[in-house]
Amino acid sequence: MKPLLEVKNVTVRFGGVLALDDVSLEVRPGEFLSMIGPNGAGKTTLMRVVTGTVKPVSARIRLDGRDITMLPTHQRARLGLALTHQIVRPFRSMTLLDNVTLAAGHHRIGRVIRALTAVDRSAEREQARKYLELVGIAEAAEKSVLGRPLGVVKRLEVARALALEPKVLLLDEPLAGLNTAEAARLADTVAEINRGGLTVVMIEHNLGEVLRVSRRLAVLDNGRKIADGDPGAVMRDPAVRAAYLGKEYQDAAA
Amino acid sequence: MGIYEISLATLVGINIILALGLNMISGFCGQISLGHAAFYGIGAYTAAFMAKAGAPFPAAVLAGMVLAGLVGLAVGLTSLRVRHDFLAITTMGVGFLFLGVVRQQEILGGELGVSGIPSPGLEKTGYMVLVLILAAFFTAFSLWIKRSWMGFAFEAVADDEDTARVLTVDVAACKLTAFAMGTAMAGVAGGLYASFARFIMPDDFGFITSITVLSMVAVGGIGSVFGVIISTVILTLMPEFFRFISDYKLLLYGALLFGVMRFAPEGLAGFTRAVRKAGIRSAGKKEAAG
Amino acid sequence: MLFFELFVQGLIHGSMYAMIAVGLTLVYGLLRILHVAHAGLFALGGYLGLLITNATGSLALAMITSALIVGLGGMLVYRLCYQPILDRPPYVPLIASIGVFIAMEEVFRLVFGPYGLTYNHPHLQSQVTLLGLNLRGAEIGMVITAMVLLGGLSYLAQNTRIGIAWRATVDDPEIAESFGIDAVKVRYLNFFIGSGLAAVGGIFISLLSNLVEPTMGGVPAYKALAIIVLGGLGNVKGTLVASLALGVVEAFGTIYIGSYLDRDAIAFAFLIAVLMIRPQGLFTGR
Repeated sequence: MKPLLEVKNVTVRFGGVLALDDVSLEVRPGEFLSMIGPNGAGKTTLMRVVTGTVKPVSARIRLDGRDITMLPTHQRARLGLALTHQIVRPFRSMTLLDNVTLAAGHHRIGRVIRALTAVDRSAEREQARKYLELVGIAEAAEKSVLGRPLGVVKRLEVARALALEPKVLLLDEPLAGLNTAEAARLADTVAEINRGGLTVVMIEHNLGEVLRVSRRLAVLDNGRKIADGDPGAVMRDPAVRAAYLGKEYQDAAA
Repeated sequence: MGIYEISLATLVGINIILALGLNMISGFCGQISLGHAAFYGIGAYTAAFMAKAGAPFPAAVLAGMVLAGLVGLAVGLTSLRVRHDFLAITTMGVGFLFLGVVRQQEILGGELGVSGIPSPGLEKTGYMVLVLILAAFFTAFSLWIKRSWMGFAFEAVADDEDTARVLTVDVAACKLTAFAMGTAMAGVAGGLYASFARFIMPDDFGFITSITVLSMVAVGGIGSVFGVIISTVILTLMPEFFRFISDYKLLLYGALLFGVMRFAPEGLAGFTRAVRKAGIRSAGKKEAAG
Repeated sequence: MLFFELFVQGLIHGSMYAMIAVGLTLVYGLLRILHVAHAGLFALGGYLGLLITNATGSLALAMITSALIVGLGGMLVYRLCYQPILDRPPYVPLIASIGVFIAMEEVFRLVFGPYGLTYNHPHLQSQVTLLGLNLRGAEIGMVITAMVLLGGLSYLAQNTRIGIAWRATVDDPEIAESFGIDAVKVRYLNFFIGSGLAAVGGIFISLLSNLVEPTMGGVPAYKALAIIVLGGLGNVKGTLVASLALGVVEAFGTIYIGSYLDRDAIAFAFLIAVLMIRPQGLFTGR
């Protein structure tokens, strides 16, 4: 099958530090790919190269066959890339519902004149409410984001990303900061959405949930991709175990 | 209505258009501008010279609006490069740049300004009515923008532009639209002012004017259309009410600016919101008690 | 020769800008506030310096006293104006600060009259010929004072306990506090030093023009804001370089393009041009 998202030869430098070293990744339609790796491995940076908020030294990114390497962030989003942030970034001056409604109106804010002349938000509100229900926070819809617990805001980010009706959903540590039950629930929701046909790429440290829901696993370490494939096989890979368990393990193995 | 009241009402109408223009940029779209008076000035100077060259009044004001909006668009481009405090100082610089250009050009009247601007062809009451109608129009326009999807996108940009981008918002287009509309409104206000005063000077459009407009927006409650209108009326008329202490006028003004920011930083709109909430709460208590 | 003379004039002006702008950039570095009222303190310094000099005849006494008083005034401004609204969006302290500045200008006008004051016996007016240029004592005095004070400040920041505490707080207030540094004390110190420097700058400016007037803070206030933005907001070294650069650009600009733009407009045209090329200012980081 043709890849839906094609990320090729990504190299990123921050000052003198090599954050990503020639990383490539292909995601096929309908996949649920999880990306793991120690802190500082470059996972978030890779996502930000894909969405266009970090400028790579070199990279080639295709979405659904179209080269989007040179496009600005908002155009990539329009073509079907949705992202949730590791550190939550809701619009704090808005209600939960408005946060999602704006995203649901993505087709309305594309053209200046159309956006200036249209005022009706009822259809988008309806849709937004559905997405809030889907992630289980509909009862707080009319409340301001301020003062909501992290668990709610994390799910708000997912609802907002879904409202963009993306081709690929990029999740950056969606489960971090949630308790066990909340995390399991959100992971289930994402898995269900994926079964519905949406392609998902998720960065996550919660290995238990990752292995439970994802169908493919990629591992980044020190700016390089060290493994990619079936979750079980990847977890048995000595290089991966070394990256996770540290040098002692390597020494012991040797 | 005496002639004095008529001219005050006209001035209030002009200031409302001016302040709603800045509210579009700073209130709706979150781009603080300390140079709004420059666009007011561009509108005034353009309309003045057009009128002196024989153009009919509507054409003169329209020309002021278009030129102010075009320059505003160019300044909006700077807001794509610089953000926050850098933008505030850049726009302040635009204000000084405008003053410097006008002051130094004999052809633009230099320090002495432009006098003998032809009358708009309406007597005073008629002109007041025209200005107030335009003010009402721009009020309705502002309310419309706020409700529109563009206004929604502005809100997102004002809140967090990086996140807005991820949600498909074209941040550059939003900022440019806000700048173009807001500065064009300042241009209209300037054109109306030139025909009203019939004599303009560079100092009418200086930094103090920019600050005055900004305070109208901030005191009203940044982003709130009605708050801005009320505070514009108050701040325009206040000096007149306090004529008897005219010597302390600016002192009072400075103290008011500080006082509002210190004690009610969300301005009048925030203040009434808080009062209303408190009212609902106490009404609820009464019901519970009864 | 004209080239050299303009350059020197630019540096003289630049050193005055530096004395004002360093205080502003210190405040910005610590609190992220555009402290417009700083220019009111600068004017207060000018007034106090002139009044004390006229009363006692001693310029040195006037400088020290007014630097101390204005320093305390700066701490008062922080306590009354900024501390209560630090957590507000940035336009709130900015507008509050503009309000305080306008009020201060008005108080000067009401107390000291609108037309300004002059020195009875202005000091440092004698001409000195240096490197083939005729300079006034006050000009040389200002450059030397600026160098000594700013040099001393930088020495203290590098080598004393309190200086290191201050730099740590600017870098990261939370970490500094976890090391037991009292952030509030550092802020007071910051306002004290910055305001004192501005006072000295105000006195030298009044010596150069032999005039102290209510609006004397206006133009330096806006220019100093431009300078700290040019220098990269909060970057002290950048601010010093930007001060001198702006002085020199203005000196040349008024000669070569003065018929198109006035001095202030030249300064801001330079600012805008630089920001379009380097939106983060000439220097980044702190």
